[in-house]
Amino acid sequence: MSDLLSIATIVLAGIVQASLQLSLGGLVLLYHSSMGQHKRRKTRYLAKSYIWGACTISFVCVCAIAFLIQQLLGVAVSQEWMLISIGALIACSLVMWLGYFRDGNGTELWLPKCLSRYITRRAKHTNDNIEAFSLGMLSAFAELPITVAIYFIVANCLLNARFPLLAALLYILIVATPMIVLKFSIKAGKNVVAAQKWRIRNKRFASLFSGSSFVVLALFVVAFWVL
Amino acid sequence: MKKTRITYEYSHDAIKDSVFRHAKALRLPEGWGEQLAERIAKATDAWIEDKDIVTEDDLQNFICKELEEVSPDIAFAYRNHDKII
Repeated sequence: MSDLLSIATIVLAGIVQASLQLSLGGLVLLYHSSMGQHKRRKTRYLAKSYIWGACTISFVCVCAIAFLIQQLLGVAVSQEWMLISIGALIACSLVMWLGYFRDGNGTELWLPKCLSRYITRRAKHTNDNIEAFSLGMLSAFAELPITVAIYFIVANCLLNARFPLLAALLYILIVATPMIVLKFSIKAGKNVVAAQKWRIRNKRFASLFSGSSFVVLALFVVAFWVL
Repeated sequence: MKKTRITYEYSHDAIKDSVFRHAKALRLPEGWGEQLAERIAKATDAWIEDKDIVTEDDLQNFICKELEEVSPDIAFAYRNHDKII
């Protein structure tokens, strides 16, 4: 039961994180700038490196938090810590509903302008795989104020799972799914404008889905980990 | 709050390069992209000729309007490329 519960929580947390838009937006941006400058093969490698970078930082953050919990608090965290993370999840859901996307025609996010300009500028000047990898890391890291509560929940589940490494890999695979789907749809012949138009058309739904999934995760954790 | 105004020298090649990159990003044939970029850059040259100073927004609006007639997708990309994140 404990294993099943951990996996279910990890899958749900993965879906919540996958619904966030910064890493996906960064990849769209990278595709757009790179396809305008480089050959398709190079763009493919850059996109792959970007996805690896975003996944690596998520993996490292989850493992680091799990390690800290184990070192500082023992094997499982107390209910008080779980309640704090649930509070953070609810706060994140409000952020998602009320202010995740900026008003306007684009898909600009809540990020400070200087940071979004920096990511945009870096995407335009990304020429090799290491730069793309670090851009992926940066985009995942920039979303840390929102994802840290999810990481905390996942880290706690990893400590309770029988195969923590496999569970962490499953989590990362779910997180990377939107980026992988984008990569394959572009490989299949769709262009970046079609992807971006789709994102703009559905941005309200994305915001609603994301906010609601934070609440669902919070309720799930309350029901199965706290009560 | 004091706003600083940065001015740039207009460049035909920069406009051409920028339009060409957007066309290439949409997987349009390179030859067609080059022709289109040259055409837009020439139209921009003619538009800007009698003006001492234009804002970046005016320039972007003009280019988008020109692109809209030829390829709405490139116009969309040109207008929105800095509004993705």
